Amino acid sequence: MMAGDLKVGDRLVPVVRDVREEKMVEFEKCVWDRERNSHSDINVAKADGISRTIASGQNQMAFLHELLERNFGDAWVYGGKISVRYIHPVYGGDRLTANGMVTELKEEHGKPSVVLQVWCENEEGRKTSAGTAHAGQPSASRTCIEPARAPAK
Amino acid sequence: MSESKSEFKVWESIPVGDDLGKLDYVLTEQMVSDYRRVVDNPHAAYPTVAARHPANLFYRKYASVMRVPNMGHDSEYFNPPVAGKRITISGHIADKYIRRGNAYIIVEATAVDEDGRLIERSKLVGLAREVGKQAAHANIAKKWGA
Repeated sequence: MMAGDLKVGDRLVPVVRDVREEKMVEFEKCVWDRERNSHSDINVAKADGISRTIASGQNQMAFLHELLERNFGDAWVYGGKISVRYIHPVYGGDRLTANGMVTELKEEHGKPSVVLQVWCENEEGRKTSAGTAHAGQPSASRTCIEPARAPAK
Repeated sequence: MSESKSEFKVWESIPVGDDLGKLDYVLTEQMVSDYRRVVDNPHAAYPTVAARHPANLFYRKYASVMRVPNMGHDSEYFNPPVAGKRITISGHIADKYIRRGNAYIIVEATAVDEDGRLIERSKLVGLAREVGKQAAHANIAKKWGA
């Protein structure tokens, strides 16, 4: 898709990811080891008031990042904005789909800007997170991600 | 002091604008590859998603009295971090409010690398839970029976 092709109402190519317990545990050790917590240890989860571990909100944020990276390339990576609220728990075994839909096309600081509604939903179609994102018009340039990945069609 | 105010005693004691100081770390190749493997995205641009800059700054100062389970995130991304570079994060309490009977704290953190490149600016929307008084995720159990 070339810059300027997006229209209000267009849906992005979604990203589907399975949430697995072992990945939830590993996620807590990425970059900084957060030690045992309610995302990685059932005993801590129980102490925190829940009966099982839940995936962290940042897990969902990672999937939304991939959605935006794939669909916008550098137009997301350099200057993208996102605002998300976590609205339903995500558990190991859930299959999440990260979605985006264009809600507005405008100019910001003299540059074209795409405003999107973004959300993750589980395999039952229930939204687990929801919010908005902003990026420039989709860029073919992907200096930080796989060059072969095509933007949304 | 009213009953509702005493309910949020610790939350009240944390001022908006409170400086959370600075923290730095080197983002290693290993950290980047670990993140990309775990999220099944071999080219993820921002492994700092897992670093939770605002939360780490907040807990360094307030872990003994307050938990802030992540209810949401507002982030702006400027330049992807480069492996091998030292990243410095600085933060402060950006806002706090009570909504539907729950107290929230907004923690803002800005990340800059050793070359002065602005990486990202993130705000954590944290549900304020006083340590020893409220289970961190009791709201989830109450709402969804988790």
